[in-house]
Amino acid sequence: MLTHSEILSVLDMLHHEHLDLRTVTLGISLLDCASDDLQRFTTKIHDRIARKAERLVAVCDQVGEKYGIPVVNKRVSVSPVAVAAAPFNADQMVAVAHALDKAARAVNVDFIGGFTALVEKGMAVGDRALIDALPRALSETERLCASINVAASRAGINMDAILLLGRQIKAAAELTADRDGIACAKLCVFANIPQDVPFMAGAYLGIGEADAVINVGVSGPGVVKKAIDRALEASPGMDLRQVADLIKRTAYKVTRAGELIGREVAEGLGIPFGVVDLSLAPTPNVGDSVGEIFQSLGLLGIGVPGSTVALALLNDAVKKGGAFAGSNVGGLSGAFIPVSEDLNISRAVQDGHLTLEKLEAMTSVCSVGLDMVAIPGDTSPETLAAIIADEMAIGVINKKTTAARIIPVPGKKAGDYAHFGGLLGESIILPVNNARGDNPFIRRGGLIPSPIHSLTN
Amino acid sequence: MKKFIISVLGKDRPGIIAAVTQVLFEQNFNIEDVSQTILQTQFSSILVVTGPDRMAPGMLCDLLSTRTSALNMHFHARELSADEGPWTACDCEHFVITTRGPDRKGLVAAITAVLADFNVNVTQLRAAFRGGDKPDHNVMIYEVDIPVDVDQGRLNAALKAKGEALGLEVNIQHQNIFEAINRI
Repeated sequence: MLTHSEILSVLDMLHHEHLDLRTVTLGISLLDCASDDLQRFTTKIHDRIARKAERLVAVCDQVGEKYGIPVVNKRVSVSPVAVAAAPFNADQMVAVAHALDKAARAVNVDFIGGFTALVEKGMAVGDRALIDALPRALSETERLCASINVAASRAGINMDAILLLGRQIKAAAELTADRDGIACAKLCVFANIPQDVPFMAGAYLGIGEADAVINVGVSGPGVVKKAIDRALEASPGMDLRQVADLIKRTAYKVTRAGELIGREVAEGLGIPFGVVDLSLAPTPNVGDSVGEIFQSLGLLGIGVPGSTVALALLNDAVKKGGAFAGSNVGGLSGAFIPVSEDLNISRAVQDGHLTLEKLEAMTSVCSVGLDMVAIPGDTSPETLAAIIADEMAIGVINKKTTAARIIPVPGKKAGDYAHFGGLLGESIILPVNNARGDNPFIRRGGLIPSPIHSLTN
Repeated sequence: MKKFIISVLGKDRPGIIAAVTQVLFEQNFNIEDVSQTILQTQFSSILVVTGPDRMAPGMLCDLLSTRTSALNMHFHARELSADEGPWTACDCEHFVITTRGPDRKGLVAAITAVLADFNVNVTQLRAAFRGGDKPDHNVMIYEVDIPVDVDQGRLNAALKAKGEALGLEVNIQHQNIFEAINRI
């Protein structure tokens, strides 16, 4: 028999703390759709996605209703398009992007990820075509997400690719200038990209994965915040070891819910279950914020001194609780601090608590990186590339994933507002140091060698 | 051997179970199953027992009443036939239905009427909070068995509609979610 408190605590998590399953992402391999005939290739990938993902939304809704926990987003990730569509040129890659977008509409998923190239050590023909296609592919489609892995702890940092991406991000922003450069919100530049991320914009199905796999992303920043609030109200003298333990236990609960639902969706679709990604992923709703957790912990706002250590505590406790709860843990698994997607973080920028530099420092202790950061539209491609390269270095040296999703908002300057809408939210534009200045260092290009600790064999 | 079900009801105090089970022991009864609860000041228990063929339900009640007269308990006993099977042959899934909202007369009758219409069996019914007009302070918990052939979508819609008419928030969730979240 269940106890009162077991039932009532779950109800509270659902109704007052925004507990949900943030995403169920169906990974679909496109590698055996390979063809050098564009028409044939796009038809095959559309059919493959339409067939595999046909029941995804219905099964997610059905399982979500059974447990009373909504699956908020249903998504599809595919094999890296730069590999699957390697024979095609940039214009043809844009056609592939349209085909993927159309397939996403056909199966009613909100995003499809995998317009991806893995170029950490060098660029193949398909990789270059895909990167060249990025501005058009992202501005002419709605649901397509792209990711480029430009660095890895075992490979080094591909500075040529980063400089090229600095230019392409600027171009993508210009093509969607009327929507504050929203195309850039659908592109993540990675170091050490995991093969099984269910969260967008970085989701793709790794080359080492099966034909199809279900990965789920759990969330629950609101649940963690309320758990801290309740505990501190009951025991105001709690120390940080006790707080860490509380977060750990809360993450356990959230993860268990995600794994139960994810496994049942996988079973319903007859597709193997992959991983649970234990991330605290905020939305622009009040009460569903990672930034609010910092205030519950006693900081004035995210970004003030103490924020990095608080984030380290939070991130580690989430991992520990989640790892115990889940049988297969993967993806990014940590706290996200996306500026525009978290109302509280966006406000912290506005209030002067959080700067680009502090944000970068914080990404050394959490998952993801400079996420959904709006910067002035006149930031030069070189400076943009330099910001990305700094972020990649944090990932490469610390043997962890980092990413940059930066939006140079056309025609706007620091202090102005960028509005992206929906889950992507809105944000004040952060000032950038040396935004338009010259940067010969970045122009040197080349591959920065992998760090000494990569020599582990 | 005969099988009996006995119910025991009366004001709670120490020694009730000791007294009742002592009588059963002396009469060579074996307790197969037992459940006991206390609501406010009142004790209630049901026991499934096997005992001698000579025993009849009336005799058993008289014996228990006489031997525990100081406790002033009420007894009811009935013989169970060997062929009494479960209420349905259909497989069931275990769900938890919770209603949250201001207290008023008729809430339980209205919700359980919907459940009865859909052939859903209530296995546990509890008030998590009692009375009062604060919506969040009144929660009823129904643990139910839903036969797998029941149209779950229609049942959920009917319960939600009834809840809305009564000013209640109704949640229907599979029991596994509570166990997954709360237990290792």
